[in-house]
Amino acid sequence: MKIALINGSPKPKDSASGILLSELEKCKIQGAVFSHFAVNKPCVGKEIIEKIIQHDVLVFAFPLYVDGIPSHLLNCLKEIENAGIKNKKIRVYGISNCGFFEGTQNEIALGILKNWCNKTGFQWGMAVGFGGGGAMSQFGEEKPKGMIKSLLSGLEKMKDSIETGKTAENVYVSINFPRWLYKTAAEIGWKQLIKRNGGKPSDLNQKY
Amino acid sequence: MFKQKTEKAQKSSYNKNLEDMDEVMKLVLSDIDGGMLHINGAHEVVENNSKICHCIGCFNCWIKTPGKCAISDSYQEMGKKFSQCDELVIVSECVYGSTSPFIKNVMDRAISYIHPNFCIRNGEMHHKRRYDNKIVISAYFYGDKITQEEKETAQRLMEANAVNYDGKVKKVVFLNSKEALGDVEI
Repeated sequence: MKIALINGSPKPKDSASGILLSELEKCKIQGAVFSHFAVNKPCVGKEIIEKIIQHDVLVFAFPLYVDGIPSHLLNCLKEIENAGIKNKKIRVYGISNCGFFEGTQNEIALGILKNWCNKTGFQWGMAVGFGGGGAMSQFGEEKPKGMIKSLLSGLEKMKDSIETGKTAENVYVSINFPRWLYKTAAEIGWKQLIKRNGGKPSDLNQKY
Repeated sequence: MFKQKTEKAQKSSYNKNLEDMDEVMKLVLSDIDGGMLHINGAHEVVENNSKICHCIGCFNCWIKTPGKCAISDSYQEMGKKFSQCDELVIVSECVYGSTSPFIKNVMDRAISYIHPNFCIRNGEMHHKRRYDNKIVISAYFYGDKITQEEKETAQRLMEANAVNYDGKVKKVVFLNSKEALGDVEI
């Protein structure tokens, strides 16, 4: 089974979407042969579309942008739809991550991906919406398993769905970390980042 | 890129009566030529007539040049424009239940309107306000093959956007064609 892991983050490296795809890859999906694609610009191009559609399964991972799909990826989805692909057996999966704590906040963006799937005529598999994505890039190579326990169980369900070829319900999970502490850690993080840029923490409140 | 009608423009505030059009400043994000639209009252139109770069997730609009996008093109100051309006009018093709890539691009580039820090709103985590104006969203989605699922998604998207801006939705309208917008008073 050929699986295309499509990273829809605009970041060329160190994206949470890339980490989430590699966690799915580690799930040892039976018979899987993976290919990796980075869709970080508003155009995919004919050549890449041709390669992508040679796969049985497409897994799109992307960050939540303003409650939806980032504009560059949305444009690419339109490009793929307009290419008029005949292979309708392709099964589509989605992994969306947001900086907010609640994984459920990805529901609308994943609904947009599903609507795209219906429009192109591809088969919908399922999706995982992950809350707390902001923390993913803070971890090193070895992710603390306890903190991504719920995420891993969601990805296991995705693995089952891919293996059996059966559509499943979406799964929404959060990082296994207290919400108040996640919020506090984020606030500390922003202060550190603005200081690193030569600013003061109060500059975060600036009205331009 | 921006067509401005400042004649009746007034500074935004929390307590304006939105039915009193003379008092309301509208920021119209349109993926069609703004000249096709019938817009009442003070307004500014943002349209697709200049090259627009996509958001690259650098967060510099929060941590380097707070309030202003770091990408230098004509859409660099969208956050500020959001802060100067009372009503955000979205005129967009309905694309899978989303706004069109151009409108989404403008909205992605406007995240400096909100503050990086989180707050809890309606029991969920959202971003704090940076500015005081309260945005009311009116959306006009057009398209000849909009499915029921796409309509539901678009409605939910507008409501979620409103929560994130700490504003509210005034209306979400679906039209069968771009041309039908010519009969609508915005």
